[in-house]
Amino acid sequence: MRGWHFILLGGILGLLVLFYEGLWGDPKAIPTVLIGTPAPGFSATELGTGRTISLSEFQGKVVVLNFWASWCQECRLEQQNLLEIQNEFGNNPNFLLLGVDYHDRDPDAKRYLDVFGSNFHHIVDPSGVIAIDYGVYGVPETFVFDQKGIIRHKVVGPIAGSNYKQLVEQVIRPLLEGQRS
Amino acid sequence: MRLTPGRRLGLAGSLLLLFLGPFPGLVPAATVDEGMVDIRTREIAKTLRCTVCQTESVWESGADLARQMREVIRERVAKGDTDAEIRAYFLSRYGDYILLEPRRSGMNWLLWAGPFLLLLLGGLGLLRTLRRWVAQTPGPAADAPPLDESSRQRIERELRSLGP
Repeated sequence: MRGWHFILLGGILGLLVLFYEGLWGDPKAIPTVLIGTPAPGFSATELGTGRTISLSEFQGKVVVLNFWASWCQECRLEQQNLLEIQNEFGNNPNFLLLGVDYHDRDPDAKRYLDVFGSNFHHIVDPSGVIAIDYGVYGVPETFVFDQKGIIRHKVVGPIAGSNYKQLVEQVIRPLLEGQRS
Repeated sequence: MRLTPGRRLGLAGSLLLLFLGPFPGLVPAATVDEGMVDIRTREIAKTLRCTVCQTESVWESGADLARQMREVIRERVAKGDTDAEIRAYFLSRYGDYILLEPRRSGMNWLLWAGPFLLLLLGGLGLLRTLRRWVAQTPGPAADAPPLDESSRQRIERELRSLGP
């Protein structure tokens, strides 16, 4: 076999590997580029109270930031699990679960929370500025920041099933116990 | 007092400026600025992918997220950010996926140069094969051994037998 045969064979094999990788990937999934970077800061109005909440208030805490909306059907699938997370970790002074009501109307959002329950705080993002700052392209999406304010984890889609277990057992708990760097 | 045409024009201009002074929005220069913001917003939005659509740009899409992105672009343009800074912002949030045209760097070069490289390799392969075929084809009749006398007579006989 001559040299150029090897080159051609290598090229074809390389293309096959690329095609194989592409076949098994999720075409809808957009790779997250924010993992390992500082969480973008924000100041926003709290739903219900109207007070201003800034991310900088929660320095030193493990923060779970959940983007949701009352018109989002998939968000309903995760609401009970979010309440569970707050029940389990809400008393820990180093933990904060914060909802971001994305592109919604306040009355609809309040009605949604009345129906599906809420035991944590929510801010409103009617123009989607905060969502775009976090590279959000749909709801629900959830981010976890460590005590240093670095984004450590992102979940696209509802916190349910294996997502829920992974978030609690492999992300939040280890971060709170200082076992995850 | 009578005014010359030049002075009349000057007076009219002064009165117009006096009238427009309290209404800066009516001054033509402001309209031009606003137009530039729109143009730059459109040109930047055309290069960004709507992340919730199928192969549509942020400019073309009617999706809420695309509309919000156009607003963010407009605000940043008005604030004085350059086109490159605005694209870099979206790139830092959404990664390469947000760009409708992949960047010419790293592995992306494979995307840009790949088709031409394959075309070149295929062309070279074809050239080599054609050359080999030409080399293996028997030469023209001049290379053939000369016809002997008995064969020539036989051919003539057979040709005559075919005639009318």
